[in-house]
Amino acid sequence: MAQCVQSVQEFIQDSFVPMVAVLCSEDAEKVTRKNNLNFSELLRPFCRLTSEGHMRDPSNQLQVVKNLRISVNNVVTRPSVPSSGVPGHAHRRLLSEVVLTCQPAEGGVANVITAGDYDLNISATTPWFEAYRESFLQSMPASDHEFLNHYLACLLVVSSSEAVPVEKFLKLSQEQHRIQHSGEYTNPKWFIPNTLKYYVLLHDMSQGDEQRADSVYEDMKQRYGAQGCYLLKVNSRTAAAGADEQIPDPWSQYLHKSSLQSQDQYEDPAPVVVNNTAVENNVGGTSEVDGHDSEEKDGVLVNSLDNTHPLQLDTPSDTPGSLDALRAVAVETKPPPLTTGVAAATSHGACLTLNDHDRIRLFIQEFTFRGLLPHIEKNIRQLNDQLVSRKGLSRSLFSATKKWFGGGKVPEKSIAELKNTSGLLYPPEAPELQIRKMADLCFLVQLYDLAYSCYHTAKKDFLSDQAMLYAAGALEMAAVSAFLQVGAPRPYPAHYMDTAIQTYRDVSKNMVLAERCALLSAEVLKSQAKYSDAATLLIKMTSEDSDLRSALLLEQAAHCFINMRNPMVRKFAFHMILAGHRFSKAGQKRHALRCYCQAMQVYKGKGWSLAEDHINFTIGRQSFTLRQPENAVTAFRHILTNDSQQTSTQQGAFLREYLYVYKNVTGACEVALPQLPLPCINSSATRVYFGHERRLAEGEKQAATHVSLDQEFDRDLAAMWQDLEEQVVAAAKRGVVPATFQSTQCCLNSQTDNLRFPLAVVEEPIIVEVVFRNPLKVPLVLSDLSLLWKFTLKDFNRPQTQEDSVGDAVPISNEKEASVPRTSQKDDVIATEVISEFYLSPEETKLARLKLLPHQTGQLNILGLVYNLASTSSTGDTTINSTAASQTEGPSAAEGTSVRGRQDLEIQGPRLNQTKEEKTSVSHGPDRRLDPTITPPMPLLEVFFLQFPTALLCGEIRKAYVEFCNMSRVTLCGLRVASTHPDFFTFGSSSLATPLTPLSPTSFENCSAYKTLATPPGATPGSVAAVTLVSEGDFGSGTGLRGGVSGAGTGGKGITEIPLGEGTLKPGESTQLPMWLRGPDQEGVHEIHFLFYYESAEKGGKISHRVLRHTVFICASRSLSVRATACRSNTLPEEEEEERNGSMLVFVDVENINSSEAGVREFHIAQVSSSSKQWRLHKCINPAEDKDCKLTSRERGKLCFRATRCKPLQVTLKAAEKYTFADLSLGNELIITSTTPCADFFFRRCQPLESLRPPVAMETQGRHSRSQGVGHGGGDKDIAGVVRKCNEVDLDIIILWKAFVVEDNKQVILEGQLHVALQTIDKEACSLTPKEEAQEMVLLKFKPELPPPMTRPSMEQLSHLIKTNLQYPESYSHPFNQKSLCMVPVTLTLSNCSLAQVDVIIDLRHKTTSPESLEVHGSFTWLGQTQFKMQLGAQEVMRVQLRACFLHAGVYNLGTPRVFAKLADQGAMCETSQQTATPALIIIINST
Amino acid sequence: MLTRLKTQVPLFSMNSYTKLREKLKLSGLSLASTHSHVIRLGRHSRHNSKMAVCIAVIAKENYPLFIRSVPVQNELKFHYTVHTSLDVVEEKISAVGKAMADQRELYLGLLYPTEDYKVYGYVTNSKVKFVIVVDSSNTSLRDNEIRSMFRKLHNSFTDVMCNPFYNPGDTIQSKAFDSIVSAMMVQAS
Repeated sequence: MAQCVQSVQEFIQDSFVPMVAVLCSEDAEKVTRKNNLNFSELLRPFCRLTSEGHMRDPSNQLQVVKNLRISVNNVVTRPSVPSSGVPGHAHRRLLSEVVLTCQPAEGGVANVITAGDYDLNISATTPWFEAYRESFLQSMPASDHEFLNHYLACLLVVSSSEAVPVEKFLKLSQEQHRIQHSGEYTNPKWFIPNTLKYYVLLHDMSQGDEQRADSVYEDMKQRYGAQGCYLLKVNSRTAAAGADEQIPDPWSQYLHKSSLQSQDQYEDPAPVVVNNTAVENNVGGTSEVDGHDSEEKDGVLVNSLDNTHPLQLDTPSDTPGSLDALRAVAVETKPPPLTTGVAAATSHGACLTLNDHDRIRLFIQEFTFRGLLPHIEKNIRQLNDQLVSRKGLSRSLFSATKKWFGGGKVPEKSIAELKNTSGLLYPPEAPELQIRKMADLCFLVQLYDLAYSCYHTAKKDFLSDQAMLYAAGALEMAAVSAFLQVGAPRPYPAHYMDTAIQTYRDVSKNMVLAERCALLSAEVLKSQAKYSDAATLLIKMTSEDSDLRSALLLEQAAHCFINMRNPMVRKFAFHMILAGHRFSKAGQKRHALRCYCQAMQVYKGKGWSLAEDHINFTIGRQSFTLRQPENAVTAFRHILTNDSQQTSTQQGAFLREYLYVYKNVTGACEVALPQLPLPCINSSATRVYFGHERRLAEGEKQAATHVSLDQEFDRDLAAMWQDLEEQVVAAAKRGVVPATFQSTQCCLNSQTDNLRFPLAVVEEPIIVEVVFRNPLKVPLVLSDLSLLWKFTLKDFNRPQTQEDSVGDAVPISNEKEASVPRTSQKDDVIATEVISEFYLSPEETKLARLKLLPHQTGQLNILGLVYNLASTSSTGDTTINSTAASQTEGPSAAEGTSVRGRQDLEIQGPRLNQTKEEKTSVSHGPDRRLDPTITPPMPLLEVFFLQFPTALLCGEIRKAYVEFCNMSRVTLCGLRVASTHPDFFTFGSSSLATPLTPLSPTSFENCSAYKTLATPPGATPGSVAAVTLVSEGDFGSGTGLRGGVSGAGTGGKGITEIPLGEGTLKPGESTQLPMWLRGPDQEGVHEIHFLFYYESAEKGGKISHRVLRHTVFICASRSLSVRATACRSNTLPEEEEEERNGSMLVFVDVENINSSEAGVREFHIAQVSSSSKQWRLHKCINPAEDKDCKLTSRERGKLCFRATRCKPLQVTLKAAEKYTFADLSLGNELIITSTTPCADFFFRRCQPLESLRPPVAMETQGRHSRSQGVGHGGGDKDIAGVVRKCNEVDLDIIILWKAFVVEDNKQVILEGQLHVALQTIDKEACSLTPKEEAQEMVLLKFKPELPPPMTRPSMEQLSHLIKTNLQYPESYSHPFNQKSLCMVPVTLTLSNCSLAQVDVIIDLRHKTTSPESLEVHGSFTWLGQTQFKMQLGAQEVMRVQLRACFLHAGVYNLGTPRVFAKLADQGAMCETSQQTATPALIIIINST
Repeated sequence: MLTRLKTQVPLFSMNSYTKLREKLKLSGLSLASTHSHVIRLGRHSRHNSKMAVCIAVIAKENYPLFIRSVPVQNELKFHYTVHTSLDVVEEKISAVGKAMADQRELYLGLLYPTEDYKVYGYVTNSKVKFVIVVDSSNTSLRDNEIRSMFRKLHNSFTDVMCNPFYNPGDTIQSKAFDSIVSAMMVQAS
């Protein structure tokens, strides 16, 4: 229970005060009327006595009466009406008004209670409750079973201006007597038959004759005794004097309520109470009506019931979706009545001076101490005597009481059996009532001991008589007086109260009395810190018959819970909610709202969402009906934005209410668009796309994929693109990437770098993708959805001056226009696209793309979104009855639930984490995604691909076409393309622009991609190679390619300038270019990225260049696998003697590894070409029988070629860098490999060996340069180089093939080429680079690996230094009969393969270890010198004549000489055995 | 024992209060209900109930981990009821001394009766609260049965906690737990 202003004792004392009636003559009334008061009102502020009074109790002991208050009231009469326990209608309303007007002060005292983890802000006091209690107790109707509010005395007031005052007194006295004793009136009730009459002569100082008054007073004193009359002089202030004097107005606080009340009643269409004395009269309003105008009674009552008073009406039910109720409330609720106006208007006591105040005070004191108290004292004595005598008891009451009290428990006897006698009425003079009367008297004058014992006695009497009502009254008062006894000799008997309450309520059905009892008891319990009991008591008193009472009591109970030693916060909250509910039922919306708000503190944010939602919803409604729409909106917003667990029906209702409330709010103020809470926008997921939305295909054309909003952001890809762009920019800017380089970002999202203002181009759309999430289980419809923006005009073409930029900065915005849907939103500056309807399913996350099209340059800020929010249109939900109802009413309800509002897009940048401050604090960088700068026009390139394949065989050559279109109004130039797979495509070499290529794709059909020549008909295929010399530089890309490997960084490796007609594309122009594609060498799906780069012809724009991206996926399937080996030929070329040592055998092993059976039927090897700086294919050694070499699936073929060194002249010619292309056609047409597609791809081939071991390649290069400077004196390092050099081949074989593919019963010939790079003699090279699986799992290296130690050339390498060759006759006839020894001359040719001097040792000694040569017969011997030692110069050829001696005929292997070689200047090295030649067989024939 | 008794006092008064209520009901007097009239929920169709009507698991920090109630329309009311019962739970826990906290019995018994329901409580050592609301007309349910229900619930809850994919503090969405709870609940007729 909340704290009260009064203490408990004060409160109880004030609840029961001596009542004094007033009978006033008309003249006297007139006197007081001057002050706007009647007589009783005049006295009211002075009714509390400040000084102590004294009286004697029956045992003649002097008792002090302290702080006594009396109650002075006008006598209002009414005929006998059975008093019921149910308070009258007007009575209720009065209480309701009292509570209504007493509201907590704004920002008033609140104390913070901390309980557990709850910090609650609770108003410490509940003045409305006290006010209610006070009026409730004051307006208690007098009843027969108790005398506490019966009149004890009567003031008879007569004005001194009366002609014969004494006569008037007599009249009034008679009147009083009549009222009391005639039996006409049951009200007012009188305490004692001979009521104290006190005669008051009222003298008006301003007009009356004072002396006359004095004389009349003297007369009165004679007649009634000095103690029975009084002369009261008032109105001593003249009107003139009073103007400037400020007199305190003590009446205002007493009369405030009443004036309000009356004022309100005047407004009421049915004036129930005519007289404004309604409050003062202790009787209810109804009784007054009866008294004044009994005929009107029925009508008025009916009227007031019919009239929709807030008490009876419109408790907003809890059923969801009762919008109608809400509407009704909204319409009906008027602004609360002005509370201060009336009170200020009527001032009281205008004619009274402070002196007069003192006089009145003195009068009251005089009356009480001289008149009233003695009267009471006398009566108590009388009653006491009477009782003692009647009971015939010799003992005093006290002892008797003691005995009875100890006697046992009578009152708790069964109630049920007593209830029949509850209607028992005692006659007024019954002795039982006399005790009660005496007890009441004692109680009124604070003789609590005596009162208690009397009450106790009375209680016993009543109980024994089974008069339950009387007993309850006695019990109640016994408890109270026990509590009030000074020094508290006995504990407060709480059970008395419980029984009393129960009896009142259940037996007597008198709720008013029960309530009074409960109020008293709760207050007492509270004072004893028995909060739990108090709460229980209060809760018990709540009932359906009075919402107001229930509400107030529940609230008090809640306060009890929070005031407990261990505060029960949740119980507090729960009961607050109950109280709030009852308040709202009682029409006390303000109080209801307050209760809910207080309860909210407990539920808020604790995870009890269902309860929280309920409270929020109620708060929202109450706030709305109380015209606090902002609060309502906040509350509703809370329900909707929280992750609600409500059912969809409930959510739908919430949403509708919210929209409705919102609409009313926005209707009130149209200043700015309100922020809407729904749907949720994931602002960080907002993406911004600059440029047109692209069509990917247009007929046969396939547009470049570029960037689109449908793609997801991939960090690796983005990095790749940026890398490509950097490369291409570097290439365009001649190798230097400008410092201000910023990669182009077409689509901005949360992961891109949004620190800078993005650049958008005028006349190109900006698309903003917003992610909406509908958190509710009901669908949402957004309509007229568009972007809000602010735009600052800026002309970038004009030279910018300071003033300009300042002067121009007048931001334009579409915020105003957007507030009204369907208006043109400044489309001349920026066209705003409007999405007319956007539907969000329950709990859906959906994207909306909104477009802006800027028409002017400047700075744009995209602020947010504007839309109409509506719940679903009618069709969706049939579940909600109220919706259906509202729809039947008319369409307006459904349409009305649409609200226009906005939501801002605020994107927080990434968290900064660079400096220490940034790391320790949480700060975020800017995110400029939504603030694009609109720049002047730029060219816009569109690229289309025609006949672009999706699947290729490995190495397949295909021709496709590319179309470049300039879509803008600005000329485009500097078109380049960069790619991740530069070996995949070529545009042909510009220098060798081939007129042969058909320019339009239509004429392409059956044409080979290659440039071919028919072979002369007579020529044997493969006999002679056609030779062309080509410089790599002609194939522009080549330098880049190679350069990239050598790491010079002159530009990216995959950059190709695209040969446009004049290097530019005019606006609107388009051009088509052929493009050759070659299937990647690796099978599988390849993702190939192209980045087209272009610039504006007009330089100096804000955007230096633009790019266009394209990604293709090519599926490569296996075709052929080519393995090739180069060997030294052992035979000396006889014909070309000059070409010393310049011949080589190349074995090419081709295997069809195509696995897709369906596709390729067979492969034909059409041609084998070579390309090298030093070597060329000379001729085919084993031309197959059939002209084409055919390979069906899994077949394997072998080809053998002889390669020769290029002509020395050619080698030494100006360009050692020139490549010799030698074509050996195996078919009937010759493909010129040195021209566009073939050579292009050759030069673009990736070089597996180089890439595999680049460090070694670098090494050799480096060493070469050094060895040139130092000469041949270099040490170890040189050897390797020399040795390798002699083994190096550097010959590239190009295998051109045709594949016959059956496709749709049609044979299609596909062409392709494969490259094999031969680099070392005797080492097999393959067209397929071996897959490096080991590469996948690279160990993490924490230390840089040591460079591999300088290795000496391996034995194997050294064994290739010298090529040996034996020349001998194949068969030799010798007549062994004649000559037993056969001598055959054999020439051993040694040729030095290296470029260094080599020491050679030839050992002919027969030391064959091979088992097959062990046979004795097969042995032969060399004759002559068996060991030679010689030195061979660089590439020198030396012949050594040997003689072999045979003893028998047979077949012999001559290849036994062993050759050791070492580099000449390497003294320390021992000679290495050279590779033995192949077996050299000689047949010796016996010629006999 | 003394502390025990102390805590019983307010409970007892509440209890007697409901008894009184029952008595009055029997005598045909209409009595305003303190709790139900707010949310204005009449008694729904009587379930031939043997079991709970609402089962709740409350986290240490007093927010709900799990609430299931059988008459679904009454959900809000049960939320309020369970929430309010936390006060009593806290009172009961705090009544047990710090030193005795370890030996405290987990089952708290009847927390408080409303005129329609009986609310029983159970607190684990980690201060997770289980609340079972039983229709007060259901007199067949013994204290022992309630006890075993709580034990079952606790076991199942432990299983939920042991699930490595469960984030402590999240609402419980385990199917196994759900089925255990459903088994204890009244089947809505």
